[in-house]
Amino acid sequence: MASKRSRIPLIIAIIVVIAVIAAGLGYYYYTSKLSPTPTITPTTPKIEKVVIGIVQPLTGNYAIFGQEAVNAAKLVVDIINNELGGVRSLGGAKLDIVVEDAGTSPESARLAAEKLISQYHVPIIYGAYISRFTLAMGTVTEQNKVILVTDALVDDLSRQGWMYFFRVAPQASSHGVSAVDFVLDEAKAHNVTIRTAVIINEDSIFGTTVSNGAHLELAKKGVEVLAHISYPYDITDMSPIVDQIKRLNPDIIIAIPYFSDGVLFAKTAKAAGLNPVFIAGAGACGFTDPDSIKAAGDAVLYYTNTYSYNPAKPTDWNQKLVKEFERRYGKMPTEAAGEMFYSLFTIYEALEKAGQMFPDDPLNPDHLRQAFLSLDLNESNSIAAQLYPTGRIKFAPNGDNLYAGTAVLQVQLINGTLTPVVVWPQPQAGVQAIFPRPGT
Amino acid sequence: MELFNREILLALAIFEILVLGLGFALSGNSYLMLLAAQVLLFAVFVATWNIIGGLTGQLDLASSAYMALGGITTSLLWMRLGVPPLLGVFAGGAVAMGLAVLIGLPTFRFGVKEVWYALMTASLVVILNNLFRYTMGPWDFYLPSKWGLIYLRPRTYFELFLIIDVVLVIVILVNVYISNSKIGYYLRSIREDELASESIGIDTRSYKLRALAIYSFITGAAGFLQIVIYSSFSYRLFDTSLAISIAIMGIIGGLGSISGSIASAVIFRTLGEYLRSSLGGVFPGLDLLLYGIMLIIVGVLKPEGLAGLFNQVRRWLGK
Amino acid sequence: MTPLDLLVAVVQQVVDGVFLGLFYAIVASGLALIFGVMDIINFAHGDLIMISAYFTWLLSMNLNLDPLLSMLLTLPILFLIGLGIQKGLINPVLGKEPLIQIAVTVGLGFVLQNIALGYFKAEPKGYPAPLFSGGFNLGPFVIYESKLVSAMVSLAVLILLSRFLAKTKLGLAMRAVTDDRASAMLMGINVGRVYLLTFAIGMVLIGVAAGLWMEMGQVTPYLGTSFSLVSWVAVALAGLGSIQGLIISAIIIGVAQSLGSLISPSIQMAVVYLIFFFILWFKPRGLFARR
Repeated sequence: MASKRSRIPLIIAIIVVIAVIAAGLGYYYYTSKLSPTPTITPTTPKIEKVVIGIVQPLTGNYAIFGQEAVNAAKLVVDIINNELGGVRSLGGAKLDIVVEDAGTSPESARLAAEKLISQYHVPIIYGAYISRFTLAMGTVTEQNKVILVTDALVDDLSRQGWMYFFRVAPQASSHGVSAVDFVLDEAKAHNVTIRTAVIINEDSIFGTTVSNGAHLELAKKGVEVLAHISYPYDITDMSPIVDQIKRLNPDIIIAIPYFSDGVLFAKTAKAAGLNPVFIAGAGACGFTDPDSIKAAGDAVLYYTNTYSYNPAKPTDWNQKLVKEFERRYGKMPTEAAGEMFYSLFTIYEALEKAGQMFPDDPLNPDHLRQAFLSLDLNESNSIAAQLYPTGRIKFAPNGDNLYAGTAVLQVQLINGTLTPVVVWPQPQAGVQAIFPRPGT
Repeated sequence: MELFNREILLALAIFEILVLGLGFALSGNSYLMLLAAQVLLFAVFVATWNIIGGLTGQLDLASSAYMALGGITTSLLWMRLGVPPLLGVFAGGAVAMGLAVLIGLPTFRFGVKEVWYALMTASLVVILNNLFRYTMGPWDFYLPSKWGLIYLRPRTYFELFLIIDVVLVIVILVNVYISNSKIGYYLRSIREDELASESIGIDTRSYKLRALAIYSFITGAAGFLQIVIYSSFSYRLFDTSLAISIAIMGIIGGLGSISGSIASAVIFRTLGEYLRSSLGGVFPGLDLLLYGIMLIIVGVLKPEGLAGLFNQVRRWLGK
Repeated sequence: MTPLDLLVAVVQQVVDGVFLGLFYAIVASGLALIFGVMDIINFAHGDLIMISAYFTWLLSMNLNLDPLLSMLLTLPILFLIGLGIQKGLINPVLGKEPLIQIAVTVGLGFVLQNIALGYFKAEPKGYPAPLFSGGFNLGPFVIYESKLVSAMVSLAVLILLSRFLAKTKLGLAMRAVTDDRASAMLMGINVGRVYLLTFAIGMVLIGVAAGLWMEMGQVTPYLGTSFSLVSWVAVALAGLGSIQGLIISAIIIGVAQSLGSLISPSIQMAVVYLIFFFILWFKPRGLFARR
């Protein structure tokens, strides 16, 4: 057999050499990062801009929220930079945002956070709406001492013992509690007795947490929970559940849907003639948002839901933001946008505070943290609080807002169109809650 | 046939030099290092799947079930009984293997094959997903905050990368061993034509079960590393689309080819992340769209997968 | 819960399950036809339904038509689209490894999902006031108009399909190809033409299923995931053979799902798939397999 002149050895040699050189360079870089050489900086450099990382689900089932949140962020940043002159205590530094898609798994959310930290060196990250994504992100931000401000509502997140974690929005269980309190308040005001209830919820950790909040509150207030039914959010047939509820005949139903299942439930309930004293939603998904109303029509008439944001709050800044959002994007801002509004303005307040408290090193994580903890915002001293349902923002040591609360919206027929209106805790102008459901 | 001939060991050595070199090169950038670790772990699962899918030709779509079952077993043993994961992963693998064999025995015995086998395995993932949610609730369970090799939870992504690399080398060696041994010979025969294999006296059920057992054990053991990357686990770990992705990567790589499996896993997973990070925020869904188009193109134009490409390159090199 | 209550609950669930099963039957029928005749493993079946559902929705909203009516309008167009897809995408993977077909169709699924996501965004789209949105009581039982109508339409279409396969020349050709492709070719059947028409008819069936769904529910880019696996299980459970077999196996699935929801809606699909498991162990190629 004639010997073949093979190119393989040469190629192997080249590859090995390249690999060794690359390895060497990389390792040198790695070890050099472990012990940074001291730099001589006589004066602190002026901060031109503060980059905030935003991680939101832009693809997958939760893309609805992510896209809305990013739109809201762009609006807020424009206002802060152009109308308010940037962060004044930092010499008018502008805000800049970098948006990363959280993807469809905790793995990609984690990568998004790592990328923001290692490539953009952001001091603050906002996100990621979904609790298990946020959990993956949180381990990264906590380890790197990056402030995480979250719009994910599951209670567990603030129980991790994280130090650099803040949540302005009301946590999941308080949504459940709000829904129950609203119903019982209205019942009392209209002299209706509520004795029994059925709770249904989509079976993710979020739906379950909200529903448990509701369950506990109902039990506390002496209402008997006849059944607590959970179901998969992508359920295609609600009739077994609706049939079961009809048989149980409760006074009220507390429902915690996702979106499609909410519409499906409303339509199926209408077809079955299910009409208890009241049907209240909780958890900010479904029933009363513009798209659900469009899809369900009058099947969702008189349904309510709790929201982390009140778009009808009559403060100056809130109305201004809502109008501007509608003008830019053609729809009313709901949950995800609202959370972004007040959270981003809270971040702005914290940056201002940090600049005042620590003019030499405002973006130091521990300084930022202290700035956050020192905030005590209300409607007269900040924009952020004007946008928040309860009008007050102050952080507990675990990062949750001490004055967290939700607003309740109801679908009513206003001038012939189905419109969501705020009915609780303060109804918007010219409106009141319709309770009980007509026909009961 | 020599089990571990010189050529293969040389190729493996070169591969390892490249991998380690890459690891060192990236160790300064935590984002890229994490990505490399994730990509390598994905390659582990695809290369392991090659045992049942590539070498034996069975359309198994349950890898995420074994991964989750094994990983969760390991985690619970740690969280509830204090068993360090370095030991616990063997229990995890055993549990996954146990379930696989328990179901595999009647399945192969009664001759469930092809599409039906694929659907059965896909259904298994959903069944376990629902059962886990029903019994353990929808909660996220967090790994204890303890670090160290014995917990298989290193402090740096670089060390995680190295651990995964060790697992990958083991998987490659297992693949090579099976491929070049008598078992591999029978499995290949089963893959080519199961009916004919049976008629010449090969106990197809027994060999399929063996392949299933090995694959499910390794997948179950390595599952814990997936949980380490997620930092938590829940019923969502039983994920049908992940199992399908793993199988598809094995196909695109070229059935039976270990190098193809690894290459396709690395290329597509990296590409997927690149698309997500550059386009995800700009045009939502565009990254997945392009991924889908790539799948179509490769499937239609090069069904022998990347392995076919490698063969062409090897021939060119040999000239 | 008294025994009578339990009985009522069970019977109600069985009735709902039969309606659901008939709906699943029409959903799976397109897949059964395509898989049976062409041996194509299509994992994008649910996504094709999703696209058809959006199509129906667009027509409904723009022409202010009930989804059942706009569905009728979509059918001829879907037929043509089916011809196109078959020629362009399916032909190249005919006869290839099943796993390659899975890979390509999964890719197709991603493409469809993300085109839908880009164009329609992620919010669910539905028709707010469909014709059949009410219900009535039959004693202690509730009958939903939309489900009754969809079950009836489903049954009618499936009976038509069955007749078509049994009596027409094309139908017989399709069955011949399903049973034994090689012999069919030897007998002079133009297999290529059969494939083309099979896929087109399959798309029409998908369109019917999508229209019926839009009468009851709404569509998001991810609707496909709710239907893909179930359709495949229905087809696999039935085995390749007859439309009647498909109807029965789909009803089994529907009833299993509905009864399963009495235990808990969260595990209803697990119940369905467990039953699938056990049946496959006894009948590895499906309940009514002929080949």
